Amino acid sequence: MSAAAAAPGASPLRDTVEWRLAAPLGLTYAVFFAAPFLILLGISFYADAEQTRLGLDSWVKFYTDAFYLKVIFDTLKLGVLAVVATTILAYPLALVFRAASPRMQRVLIFIILMPLLTSVVIRTFAWIVILAREGVVNQTLMALGLTATPLNLLQTELGLVIALTQIEMPLMLLPLLTIMNQMDQNLVDASRALGASKWRTFFRVILPLTLPGWIAGATLVFASATTAFISQSVIGGARLVYLPSLIWQQSMVVYNWPFAAVASLTLLFTVLSGIMALSWLGRFAKTS
Amino acid sequence: MTKLNRRDILAGAGALGLAGLLPGAARASGSVTAAIYPGTWEEAYRAVVAPALKKAANVDIAFDSLFAVDQVAKVRAARGVPPFDCFVLDPGPAAAAQAAGLFEPIDASKLTNAAKVPAGLIKSHGVTCNAQVVGIAYNPKKFPTPPKAWTDLFTAPYVERLGLTGFQTTFGTVSLIEMCKAFGGSETNMEPIFAELKKAVSKAAAVAAPAAMPGLFQQGQIDVMYTNTNTVAILKGRGVDIAFATPASGAITFQTTLHIVKGAENVANAYKYIDTAISAEVQNQLQRSPYNMIPINKDVTFVDTLDVKSIDDLSKMVTHDWTKINPQRAAWIERFNKEITK
Repeated sequence: MSAAAAAPGASPLRDTVEWRLAAPLGLTYAVFFAAPFLILLGISFYADAEQTRLGLDSWVKFYTDAFYLKVIFDTLKLGVLAVVATTILAYPLALVFRAASPRMQRVLIFIILMPLLTSVVIRTFAWIVILAREGVVNQTLMALGLTATPLNLLQTELGLVIALTQIEMPLMLLPLLTIMNQMDQNLVDASRALGASKWRTFFRVILPLTLPGWIAGATLVFASATTAFISQSVIGGARLVYLPSLIWQQSMVVYNWPFAAVASLTLLFTVLSGIMALSWLGRFAKTS
Repeated sequence: MTKLNRRDILAGAGALGLAGLLPGAARASGSVTAAIYPGTWEEAYRAVVAPALKKAANVDIAFDSLFAVDQVAKVRAARGVPPFDCFVLDPGPAAAAQAAGLFEPIDASKLTNAAKVPAGLIKSHGVTCNAQVVGIAYNPKKFPTPPKAWTDLFTAPYVERLGLTGFQTTFGTVSLIEMCKAFGGSETNMEPIFAELKKAVSKAAAVAAPAAMPGLFQQGQIDVMYTNTNTVAILKGRGVDIAFATPASGAITFQTTLHIVKGAENVANAYKYIDTAISAEVQNQLQRSPYNMIPINKDVTFVDTLDVKSIDDLSKMVTHDWTKINPQRAAWIERFNKEITK
């Protein structure tokens, strides 16, 4: 920002200091994000894996093949399902947290944060132990006589969504708890006093007031679930192909970097489109 | 006491930062950096090869834990400034790296143990450090009668308990090629195996990433898979009910090779590292539990825990020409993605 364009009362010296303070972060972004992004974009315009000639072949192949379009759709769908599942489970837990005593809140916060203190690799492999044919879930169901043969939970979209829901839950809960704690209890009490049911109060008062927190949580969960390479590979298996595993395969196994670059840029814009949609929803919520 | 001002501290920090940006510039002499596979390989080489190299040549080794494909990708991306001195590779990635010109030529006269290695295992650009044997792994408690041929994997009762994996790995690729041959195909005609995979995919217990297979076997998600003897021995060592079966057409063998990276900084020490890795003493230790690596040094007597009895056994096994496989592999991977998914 130039001194000339400074807000009234702001000194030129202060503007210079602000620019200097922002410079390290700006430089870091320029070197470690913008430059690699431009290189990636450049690579995507090579027509062949050997990068000998320029052309749109990789883009055309990716966007005219029904299989790759389905991979994009499946990746988006996985992100949406993870957001829906975490939302359904996070709201009741957030309401319980809000109603709990300070001591109980400390216990709940510890339980909520605990998964974040564990490596995602360990959490993912723990889900193999839980969901496998001879895992905890199947053993319990068979012991209760609810199923005669083990259910196939691993290598399915359902199993992957279950695992991702647990893995991503803290990302949804933390912003939701923050916004819920700031909510004025008088508004909830007024709604109940005026005859609204608990459900009506939730949908007409609590939900609109906590929407900014949900949007922050949904953004984090969506971005994290769509790019969860380890969970997608290990729990989803090779039957389910998503953009991150496709990128790894094309770059590290096939060495087709132009095609991998197209897939990478597609993943980037897929995640960004989801975030922008949520951001738009946030603005829409504010105006209405 | 020495007084440090802000300028001194910044200058020192800057120098340290620059040193970090120049890999190798800050390395001590008498050192070498080698890529190594994560997991058992890393454990084995840290525990056995590193102390042996220090003792024999007073060379410190730093390991960079990377899968074969990641090593090749990393060196290609480095564009002439290699991040490590030595590769460890399987035939597929090795052929790709050789085609890309990523290896220094090997001078066998610089290896004191060269004569102890069977003919043909020291090549123009690589040295074999270990043989891998691939076949069928099964749970003997679930299947008292083991599968006898590759075709058995696609019939009941085995197919319902089968773990399928694709062409991303060497063992996966060579296994699928042999299955294809068993169904009347060949390296240049993979139609029969894709037809069988399409039929089997709905019945199979899992279609998984290669790295996930041992875990799925351990958890009882699958009871039959195609893998190498090394994985079988490791799982067996952990108390898993697993046994190795040699298919009727023969077990598959391929070599893991060490290579000096083109433009490597510590070429002399890289030779010492390779020489140590193929020495009888080191090979003898690497073949024992928990590493279970098949030795290639003629002076080493094979232990009973390996599913191979001698180096001569390896010459009777099935091998593959990766210069023919590599050009087709990308298409096979893409086809597997498209046809063997949900």
